Amino acid sequence: MGDYTLLTILFAPFLGAVLLIFVPNRQALQVRLVAAASAGISLLAAFYMFFAYDSAKGGFQFVQRHEWSKELGIAFYLGVDGIGTPLVLASAILLFAGIFISWHIKDRTKEFYIFLLILAAATIGVFMSLDLFFLYFFYEMSVIPMYLLLGIWGSHTKGYLDMTDPEGLRKRDSVSFIFNFAANSKEYAAMKLTLFLSVGAVVALMGILLIYKFSGLHTFDILVLREQAKFSGSLATIIWLLIFFGFASIAPLWPLHSWSPVGHAAAPAATSMLHAGVLMKLGHFSIIRVAFEILPETTRELMPIAAVLCIFNILYGGYVAYYARDTKYVIGYSSSSHMGYVFLGMAALDYISLTGAVLYMFAHALATGMLFAMAGWVYDQTHSRDIPSLGGLVNRMPFVAGCFLVACMASVGMPGTVNFIAEIMILVGSWNKYPFQVIVAVLGIVLTLAYLFRMMRGVFYGPMEEQYSHAHDAVAMVDRLPLLLMIACSITFGIFPGHFYNVIRSGVDPLVARITQVVPIAAQSGSDELRVMSDELYEVAGQQASAVGAPGANRSTLITGDPLLQDCNGCPPSPITGREP
Amino acid sequence: MTFNLTLSGSDLLLLLPEMLLTVWLCVVLIVDFAMPRLPKDRLAYLSVGGLAAVLVNLLWFDRAGVTGTLFANMFVVDRLAVFFKLFIVGATILIILVSVDYVRRFRFFKGEYYFLVLMSALGMMFMASANDLLSVFITLEFSTFGFYVLVAYLRDDVASNEAGLKFFILGVFAAGLLAYGISLVYGETGKIVFSDIASASPTPGLVIGYLLIFAALGFKIGAVPFHSWIPDTYHGAPTPVTAYLSIAPKGAAFAILLRMFFVSLATLKPAWVLLLVGASILSMTYGNIVAIAQRNIKRLLAYSGIAQIGNILIGLAAGTKMGGDAILFYLLTYLFANLGAFAIVIAVGNLIHSDEIEDYNGLNRRSPFLAFAMLVFLLSLAGVPPLAGFIGKLYIFLSAINEGLYTLIIVGLINIVISMYYYLVVVKKMYINEPTDPSPLTISTPMKAVVYAGLAGTLILGIYPQPFIDWVVAATLMFSNLAGHTAAAPTILPFGG
Repeated sequence: MGDYTLLTILFAPFLGAVLLIFVPNRQALQVRLVAAASAGISLLAAFYMFFAYDSAKGGFQFVQRHEWSKELGIAFYLGVDGIGTPLVLASAILLFAGIFISWHIKDRTKEFYIFLLILAAATIGVFMSLDLFFLYFFYEMSVIPMYLLLGIWGSHTKGYLDMTDPEGLRKRDSVSFIFNFAANSKEYAAMKLTLFLSVGAVVALMGILLIYKFSGLHTFDILVLREQAKFSGSLATIIWLLIFFGFASIAPLWPLHSWSPVGHAAAPAATSMLHAGVLMKLGHFSIIRVAFEILPETTRELMPIAAVLCIFNILYGGYVAYYARDTKYVIGYSSSSHMGYVFLGMAALDYISLTGAVLYMFAHALATGMLFAMAGWVYDQTHSRDIPSLGGLVNRMPFVAGCFLVACMASVGMPGTVNFIAEIMILVGSWNKYPFQVIVAVLGIVLTLAYLFRMMRGVFYGPMEEQYSHAHDAVAMVDRLPLLLMIACSITFGIFPGHFYNVIRSGVDPLVARITQVVPIAAQSGSDELRVMSDELYEVAGQQASAVGAPGANRSTLITGDPLLQDCNGCPPSPITGREP
Repeated sequence: MTFNLTLSGSDLLLLLPEMLLTVWLCVVLIVDFAMPRLPKDRLAYLSVGGLAAVLVNLLWFDRAGVTGTLFANMFVVDRLAVFFKLFIVGATILIILVSVDYVRRFRFFKGEYYFLVLMSALGMMFMASANDLLSVFITLEFSTFGFYVLVAYLRDDVASNEAGLKFFILGVFAAGLLAYGISLVYGETGKIVFSDIASASPTPGLVIGYLLIFAALGFKIGAVPFHSWIPDTYHGAPTPVTAYLSIAPKGAAFAILLRMFFVSLATLKPAWVLLLVGASILSMTYGNIVAIAQRNIKRLLAYSGIAQIGNILIGLAAGTKMGGDAILFYLLTYLFANLGAFAIVIAVGNLIHSDEIEDYNGLNRRSPFLAFAMLVFLLSLAGVPPLAGFIGKLYIFLSAINEGLYTLIIVGLINIVISMYYYLVVVKKMYINEPTDPSPLTISTPMKAVVYAGLAGTLILGIYPQPFIDWVVAATLMFSNLAGHTAAAPTILPFGG
């Protein structure tokens, strides 16, 4: 496969979508098989890419570069580093699982799979773009299929306006309530999502255009811009803020999140999976790829913004999730809450925390994918997402209930799942800079436990309503396969995170070194020696980390090897430490 | 001043496409009169055949790089003129193909319809070659003349008559402005050829004269505040004429605008940038906001067209060669997307006899192909990748940001989001709502051909635009001496390769 790996991953779903146009709509099975085959090819290639990625070498691998437009300075430039690799893999897994989750869609099957494949392929395209133009190209391309998927195959949130908490108060997620004058229909959710994301996208596009102009390099090539573009002063701040808030709207960062639970709730199961699983990570990924790579100094100065906002993400999301009655709202808000962890890991700008953040994106993709898949299954069987009216479904669907338990465990971050490792790394890595946020995050874990098990109890245990006695379990292989796949990945990578860790580290190390090495002029006097010393330590640590190969040894680096890093993190008088909240 | 009217063979060669078309439109008219029993559809294909010959001729001009001027610089053939002529002829071919079904519904003058369309095309081809103020006036009126008749073609229909009257009165008024503006400019400078007046110093008379000419051309392209005829005319005119009106004259008028602003007014750029920025911001914002409230698809496309013109004016405001490239490229994307969208409107209108957006409910169930094509065209107009409109918008923005027109870009970006809303409302009706009458819709072959052409153009321009970018870059080489006022221009890759 060699150099064609990325092209295969990216274009298999696209070609599948094109092929589907020629398959008649009545041949539902054929449609599904074509979709599954293209997603399967993409998944196999993604696994190949993941295991063939040489973490000792690091950097961008499987690079493809084709001149696209000389006049505009655009090249079709693909490549993955340690940060892109896990996310491409997660997208491929979720796409493959999503195809099977939607196996029973009857209405306009063909169109559904076309849009789903385009959505996933566009997402994958963002994760492997090394050209700002194509990053934006794929980013914007992923928004429109969402509109149709939500609008056509979504479901209205019944009783949304009557949603009350136990005291009988009006529902708590008032941010979306302000803009929602009528019933909370799927059309409303779809339009809101599309417009929110489009606004975010054009804000980011403004930042990209400014980068293009003021770099003076006449190119969109991220690697060239990274090496040669220099931005300073208020210009750098403006660009950074545009890029950050533009992309953070899809992440979704706290005040910009209101589209996300509404959208999740309205979307069909497979779309929610892809959406919460990977689409939201486009935000974090694009911030890392654009803001972190091209504007490292500004990132160091301004990233505390994210550290402050992520507190609200974690607490507010968790709080609303606890009181929500709709299963998909619970999961949607829990996603929005968990994205706060990723922002925390990114804000700390530490080797461990950023590695944890990237790993968490992967882990969360699997965990939330499973949760949405199962909520979708329950909805299909009972036509209800109202937690109090459900109950006792464990009798009818033991397999789904079991999977749900595993997904909850993963979501909480139980040892043995990949979420645990990621969470711990974020918490440990951020402790030096943001102890308060870490405490909040730990509280968030407790909250997660509370609302997920409250939902678990409400849906699967307790007395069962008579009307749900016809509900049945996921018995067929096509129904079980996606759940088992996601569980297997979550647990396997949780027990053997060695390669995973190395891959991510190989991408994170040079990035964090670049960002934290540069000492601003104000703090430079007198700290030169320390800085040189810390540089050497960074290098030693980096080599150590990448030299570790065996999984077992790796777990120990995680704990024993890291104090070294944390110590040297404390060495340079970092401007962030001085200013931390 | 003496005119030397001895034309050599090579001079006549420059006029070959126009002569060919002139002969052909006479042929069409004669065939129509001489063979009254001939089905009128044949006339359409006859016209398309003639236009195809002209198209081949123009392609040869383009490949061979034929250039030259005639009649004391009145008429110029250069890459830019050939580009616009190809644009116009291409649009006309597609328009005639979408008209076939529609014309069948006319009660009278079916044959003359094709004649008038060809005549307008001829006028617009001359517009693309107009190189002085006098020929601007003559060609502009010549091309509009055919449209006056075409807009009011449905003579039993009140809306069509109203549209024709509005268009005529305002068009004549604009012609008056144009004539007055030209006379002022001529009075101040004593010259009429664009390149000759380039060195004139800005006296008040000259400024007023140019403002009047700009107003007349602004009327032609429908930029705010000269747009007031657009919605009613578009609404009332026969839909193929609306489609024609929304594309071809815009291209021809931009040929003149490019020559006027980039050649004769190049030295006064700081003065007119603000004018164009204002017109652009007003057009985009007004067009998009009013489009939200529309219930009729033709009116919606009319207002969206005003907004699209605002986008193109961004490139004109940039005032560089790259701005010119962007305009040409944008017009290409606009040709395919807008014409495609109108083709769907015509097809649906022929089948269900309604242009209300409400009646597009559930189009996806009635005809998946039509709904999908409309989706692609609307999204291209909104500027969504991987479709042509996205590259066009990006090209325009890039040319503007190199000139530091930040306000314009911010307004343009906000407008993308606004426009997305009303395009998506149509998408919602087609895909999400259920049809009241679920009977399937089928469309005729020529219509299908146009829709396929639109789809192909929209996708190819969006996914592989390089050949087209090369083409537009070559077409505007004459503007390469236009320098931007920022340092961003001397880059690794100089413009034009």
